[in-house]
Amino acid sequence: MTQKSGYVLTRGRAAQIASFVGITGLITGAIGMVWRSGASANYALIAIIIGGLGIALWAGLTPREFRETITGKRVRYGTVTIVSTALLIGIVTLTYMLLQSAALTLDVTQNQSFTLSQETLNVLRRVSRPIRLTGFYTARNLAARELDDQFFRLYTTATNGLIERDYIDPEQNPAMAGRFGVQEDGQLYISYLDAAGEIDMTTVSRVPRGESQERDVTQAISRMLIAGTIKIYFATGADERDAFDTTAEGIAGINNGIRESGLLTDTLNISQIAMANGDIPNDAAALIITRPLRDLTGAETDVIRRYMDGGGGLLLMPDVTYNEDRFMSETGTFNTWLWQTFGLRALDAAVVDPDASASSALDVISAVVFTESPIASRINPEAGTQTLFRVARVVEADLLSTPANIANGRIIMTTPFGFGERNLADLGATNTFGFDEGEDIPGPVSTAVWATHQVTGSRVVLIGDSDFVSNGQVLSAPGNGILFTDALSWVSGFSDEIQFAPQAFTSGLPTVFVSQQQVDLVVFLSVILVPGILLVSGLAIYARRVRR
Amino acid sequence: MTVTWTIFRREFASFFVTPTAYIIAAGFMLFTGVFFSQEFQVAAVRRIPINPATIPSLVSYMLVFFAPLFTMRLFAEEKREGTVELLLTAPVSEASIVVAKFMAAWAYVTILLGITLVYQAILATYAPQDIGHTILAYIGIWLYSGTVISIGMMFSALTENQIVSAFSSLLTLLILYVGDGVGGIIGNIQLSEIMRSLSLEAHYSTSFAAGLFRAEDAAFYAGVIVIMLFLTMRILESNRWR
Amino acid sequence: MIEVKSLTRLYGEVIAVDHISFKAASGEIVGLLGPNGAGKTTTMRMLTGFLPPTSGSAKIGKYDIVEDSMEARRRVGYLPERVPLYQDMTVFGYILFWAQLRQVKAPRDRTVDVLKRFDLLGRRDKLVRQLSKGLRQRLGLAQALVHDPPVIILDEPTIGIDPQQVIEVRQAVRDLRKSHTVLFSTHILSEAEEICDRVVIIDKGRIVAQGTPDALEKQVRANSFTLEVGRLAPERVLEVLRAIPGVASVKRRDAHFSVETDGSRDVRGDISGAIVAAGGELLEMKQVKSSLEDVFLRAVQSAADNPQGQKKS
Repeated sequence: MTQKSGYVLTRGRAAQIASFVGITGLITGAIGMVWRSGASANYALIAIIIGGLGIALWAGLTPREFRETITGKRVRYGTVTIVSTALLIGIVTLTYMLLQSAALTLDVTQNQSFTLSQETLNVLRRVSRPIRLTGFYTARNLAARELDDQFFRLYTTATNGLIERDYIDPEQNPAMAGRFGVQEDGQLYISYLDAAGEIDMTTVSRVPRGESQERDVTQAISRMLIAGTIKIYFATGADERDAFDTTAEGIAGINNGIRESGLLTDTLNISQIAMANGDIPNDAAALIITRPLRDLTGAETDVIRRYMDGGGGLLLMPDVTYNEDRFMSETGTFNTWLWQTFGLRALDAAVVDPDASASSALDVISAVVFTESPIASRINPEAGTQTLFRVARVVEADLLSTPANIANGRIIMTTPFGFGERNLADLGATNTFGFDEGEDIPGPVSTAVWATHQVTGSRVVLIGDSDFVSNGQVLSAPGNGILFTDALSWVSGFSDEIQFAPQAFTSGLPTVFVSQQQVDLVVFLSVILVPGILLVSGLAIYARRVRR
Repeated sequence: MTVTWTIFRREFASFFVTPTAYIIAAGFMLFTGVFFSQEFQVAAVRRIPINPATIPSLVSYMLVFFAPLFTMRLFAEEKREGTVELLLTAPVSEASIVVAKFMAAWAYVTILLGITLVYQAILATYAPQDIGHTILAYIGIWLYSGTVISIGMMFSALTENQIVSAFSSLLTLLILYVGDGVGGIIGNIQLSEIMRSLSLEAHYSTSFAAGLFRAEDAAFYAGVIVIMLFLTMRILESNRWR
Repeated sequence: MIEVKSLTRLYGEVIAVDHISFKAASGEIVGLLGPNGAGKTTTMRMLTGFLPPTSGSAKIGKYDIVEDSMEARRRVGYLPERVPLYQDMTVFGYILFWAQLRQVKAPRDRTVDVLKRFDLLGRRDKLVRQLSKGLRQRLGLAQALVHDPPVIILDEPTIGIDPQQVIEVRQAVRDLRKSHTVLFSTHILSEAEEICDRVVIIDKGRIVAQGTPDALEKQVRANSFTLEVGRLAPERVLEVLRAIPGVASVKRRDAHFSVETDGSRDVRGDISGAIVAAGGELLEMKQVKSSLEDVFLRAVQSAADNPQGQKKS
């Protein structure tokens, strides 16, 4: 018998490989055909074609063996191997597919990253119409798609299929990607389906992808659910900033942003209501008053008082104006009512903070943020999400003698070196300011405060600035948009829809300070010591062998 | 069973009587060590978290290159030395021989994986670790390593030339590894999906490494191992028939 | 102990072993003699269970090598032509491994016994790779004997070792007589003659002759003579001798003639009678003192002449 070395491809061996490929192709094809319909039927067809080609090649290469195998005259050993191997592969494939469709999974992460929280399940219980999540992933991004799908799948399961998933390759289907406005790989969209089961393009909105995938997706679903049920009114009639003005002074930008979030917006002329002795409509989830150029009259205050007594939401943004009848002047009717009812007021003083400001000490940056307040949790000057107010009013929350049934507090405050400049006339005329002992308000002073009535549920946020949300400045600091959105979410009750307990466990975050010495120790241990020990053991074995 | 145990013991011991296995282990640990210390340094200085699956995921890549080094000799050496003839004429079934050799190589890799736990221990002293995630990532890489070994062993049985054996298994493993990201090259999403579902890495990176146990992935690895062991038995048997 | 019936093995279309049949009794040493490529190794591999036969059957004791392969394998000790060694094991570990693999009772004691028998106990902790060729051969023999099998199959055990070691190995094989049945292959005739109880000569996969060395020699001896004839022309001598019934061939070598008979009858009387009758003088007639080598060469020669040997089945 001759010793065989290496691997030589003979005709017989090629035929064996061909027969193996052929039978495997046929079996997998058959499994595919039986198992699934739709897209996978194509693969099954491909498998069967490959199988047929393999068998044909087998028959062509070794016709005698093929004939004898088919007629059962001689079942060669090699053929038995091929058939049994193909059968084994078939069994394994079938088991795999069965398990895959059964989706037996177990989430072992401490954060339960692959399990829906109770909050999400509560939201999903309200889903009654088919919703589709449409993801755009290229062929290069399949791993991310699979990882995401494992999470999105939970939504499908939890809603018994009411939430569908669909994935589109934007490169294969650029027209579809264009309709959705896809800009990058891995974007996700949410929409309702119409009666025909097609995507209702009017309801499509992009799902933002942030730190917490669950919060992003659940909030998107929640927005879909409450879209059209929450209405926000912008007050008009006293030269407020215009919600449709697209110039630098207007606030059309945030108005559009609110609408894109699924909320309805409209304008409301308070003075006309007051004159008609009417009321703010019942569907108003919140009223936004942005820097009117005059103070509210007693009649107008009454309109707002009645609205707030019914549990309304109020977002007030006075500003430093240099007229006598400024909005929320310290002793005005409106300011007095707010102070007595909610323990909040605006003072006739401009905020100055030499220690936390931009180009001028009047451009104050959020120095102290009360993150435990309902609004400020996402504003963090250290993480770059600070706010920037240009010439802001000093506001105040009455923390010592809070009115009955009121909970209130500060949102943003200056440094201890900040103060309230009372001399607004000089400030307006000559832009001069400076701390005058006994006259100016000593710091720290507040720039944003909140209050809620615990019986009626009414909510107020008072921010001493309005140009921070103007089209011209809303992007000047990352926190500006966040502060507005979160304040509005809170006063309108929108944020109550979805609240997430923060994840308790952050894996792998260093809890101790790691010194350079310790880093060096780790490098020594892992790069030198461990491989070194193994190498020395190897050499020792070698040496012992040589000596023997 | 006793016989399988006897062969397993001989095979396992044979890893440790030559310097080769130690040198392979040293090289393996050097690579992981360099990578780990870099990751650690960056994470410690910037105070960012380290994924518990970092080391196992690196191992999944390194096994592609290291596994052929110690699987190539499993059968190729026996064939070269002629001992396979004695084994096959001893009252021992092919199944015993194949299973014992596979287990021995797997046990060796298990030890290598065990050594990498040093890094997890270092991580645990510096920051709280997600134990469940870590354990699952290691279970995954353990199954993965078994699969890689079974493929390498199959190639070892095909030839008596160790270089041919190592090279062909390296090539196969590399193809099976990059199958995960083949979409970047071919661009066709249907074809990429098929390639992916056959690739080794795809059954690890999106489940075990992410902290999610999926039964089908465990079945995939177990299935490939069973098929490869069966093929190895048949190849071994075919020495008799040719 | 070994019973081979019509055993045949094909490699693809090539016949390696062609319907061979022979027996080996308990305690007998049987030599398998033939040139390289005759089918000796293939025959042995089939008997040890390494290769399955294409057709025919063989039994080790009462166990068929195909039907009861495991039982048959248990009863065989085998030393292939190239001694198979795990280079990185110790001498003791190597023997112990085979003892355990063949499920010997008290494997450690048995290993010590067998190492002692082959004078290897002093080297028990040496690595196999450090042994000389002769020692390796002894280690291979120890391996084949460690489970005390009734049948021992040795494939060319004396190949490639120095003469002193050859003598040792031959002695070791001889020592196995009576206690074991030994099937032993070689292409060295003197060796078969020296050691074997019986010789089976195979060539091109077929048995061409078998019997005890003595019987085989006798067969040849009875059939060939050399003559020296006087007073007669050589041509005349050839003519006379060829006329005698039973004479197969006559060749002239100077003054001598060598006569081969077909072995059907004793022709010595006829030869002398015919020579004298023709007026010649028979000066010398001597039976050829032949060895197994002649048997072998004759057997191989006749097999080559026989067209049956070339037939494809």
